[in-house]
Amino acid sequence: MARQEALHPAHTLDISSALPAAAASRPRTAGSERWLIWLFLLPTVLFLVLLLWLPFLQGVWMSFHKWPFIGEPQWIGLQNYRDLFGAAYFWTTMRVTLLYSLSTALQLALALGAALVLNQSFIRLKSVWRGVMLMPYAMPPVVVGAIWMYLLDPDLGMVTHYLLSWGIISKPIYWFSDPVWAKWIIMLVASWTFWPFMFIILLAALQAIPESYYELAEVYGANPWRRFRAVTLPHIRGAMLAAVIIRIAWNLAKIEQPFQLTGGGPGYETSVLSILTYRFAYLSGDFGMAFTVGLLLILVTFVLIAPFLRGFQKQIKQARRR
Amino acid sequence: MAMYTQRSTLTQKVLGYGGLAVVLLIVLIPYGYIALTAFKPAEEIFDVRWLPRAWSLDAWRYAIEFEQFHVYIYNSMIAGLGAAVLALCVAVPGAYVFGRKQFRGKDVMFYIIVMALLFPFVLLVVPFTILWVKIGLYDTMPGLWLAYQVFIIPFAIWILRAYFAELPPFLEECAMVYGCTAFKAFWRVMLPLAKPIITSLMFLAFLVGWNDFLFSNMLTTGEGPRTASVIIYVSAVGGERVEWDVLMVMTLMAGIPPVLLYIVAQGQFLKTFAVRGH
Repeated sequence: MARQEALHPAHTLDISSALPAAAASRPRTAGSERWLIWLFLLPTVLFLVLLLWLPFLQGVWMSFHKWPFIGEPQWIGLQNYRDLFGAAYFWTTMRVTLLYSLSTALQLALALGAALVLNQSFIRLKSVWRGVMLMPYAMPPVVVGAIWMYLLDPDLGMVTHYLLSWGIISKPIYWFSDPVWAKWIIMLVASWTFWPFMFIILLAALQAIPESYYELAEVYGANPWRRFRAVTLPHIRGAMLAAVIIRIAWNLAKIEQPFQLTGGGPGYETSVLSILTYRFAYLSGDFGMAFTVGLLLILVTFVLIAPFLRGFQKQIKQARRR
Repeated sequence: MAMYTQRSTLTQKVLGYGGLAVVLLIVLIPYGYIALTAFKPAEEIFDVRWLPRAWSLDAWRYAIEFEQFHVYIYNSMIAGLGAAVLALCVAVPGAYVFGRKQFRGKDVMFYIIVMALLFPFVLLVVPFTILWVKIGLYDTMPGLWLAYQVFIIPFAIWILRAYFAELPPFLEECAMVYGCTAFKAFWRVMLPLAKPIITSLMFLAFLVGWNDFLFSNMLTTGEGPRTASVIIYVSAVGGERVEWDVLMVMTLMAGIPPVLLYIVAQGQFLKTFAVRGH
């Protein structure tokens, strides 16, 4: 493994250059190459404009309409927005969306723990354990959802059975329709499913830290905790922030599991914003309202990732000064 | 490396292996239980026990003969393959240009593309459904391939660009000195060099198609190219009574191929996911 990496040096993913002003100075492009540049760019730009930005703009336009699946759309101005903010379920949805986003923290904790353990030199059979840990993330989320539906089934599920026989609960809990439990369950199942994404990013970052840094720290008498604070953490902070940013956005946008496990119910107790969008689009056929909710989802996502995005940019600036 | 091993104290080892065991149990207990469930006869589903009293392949037979689940697995495979091929055709040239050429507005364009990674794709379900019906892509496999691209292309460009950028400079210039055109320099020199990362992305793009539920559910009907994910959703939620043993067989059939893919390619994935932000 180490040998192989030495043969293919550093093709790590450099997000720092995602920011402007990172362009390396390369010789100026010859005029004869222009056609190649634009020809190569064309498919990507075309795809993203046609598949992402135009539909998005169309959606913004739709949010000002009463837009049924069949029939003529009708301009209603800001009525959808007024309806949404005035609705009784609005605060329930916002509360459960924030709770659901906390799943990111749980994922980070598990991922960091697992990555630190697997980075220890004395652990044998690393690639086997790594493969096992990737399983929940590799499988389709719907598959993982189905597995947990079975395990948590109130009548014949394993979890209920053991909780009952150990005396932790006295009667079966209907996890997915219980107004208290349902929102916690979708959060826990999401954490169990998606934590390996952060794990693989953190592990890659940990493995990139030169061994000599730790040796030096030890020569200076740093204990394991100090070594973690002084060597490990600064080196993985960038990867950690990137992983958190992506995961917050993806956790909020992924609808598979809440949709499958609870369908957004009971009532609106587990209708995170993405589920609410889907409910309006799929169940009520109210496309205008679906997009109104969707725009709110974008707003909430960006409010939640903004502090991490700032941290990440600061991190990159520091790295450049060094 | 060897020296460091010797310096690990007993406490460290106990903590390390203890932590490893906890994480492995968190993952393996659910999987172990459902894997065994898939071999239980239908009447044993109702008592919670690990090992089946009588091992049985009934659930497997039922899933394939009655539910025709292999057809949906095949659909998932085609969905994944098509998505991967299309994504590479679009993203590799784009990423190459972002990685190695200079042009006006490059940084801003790249930033916009990468930001698309954070876009909540559930929003696109509505406009896509309307548009797909209008242009005849609704309920077709190419319609699915096209829809998956919104997940794959930003991710692919992000990763490929970095790879191309870090290949040694002046490679194309050298090739062109030897008489290659700009295109031939890309095709004959750069593309072969990028083979490992392209393979890795091909796997990841395949998995997007294989794993997707959002678009596969919204853009197909019962008569069209339904993928395994959608069928699992329908079997778990749709009916009044869930055949758990059959459903667990389906989860294994749809869940194991991507896991194998991850295990085969994990060294490569680890490099692909190496974010350099320090």
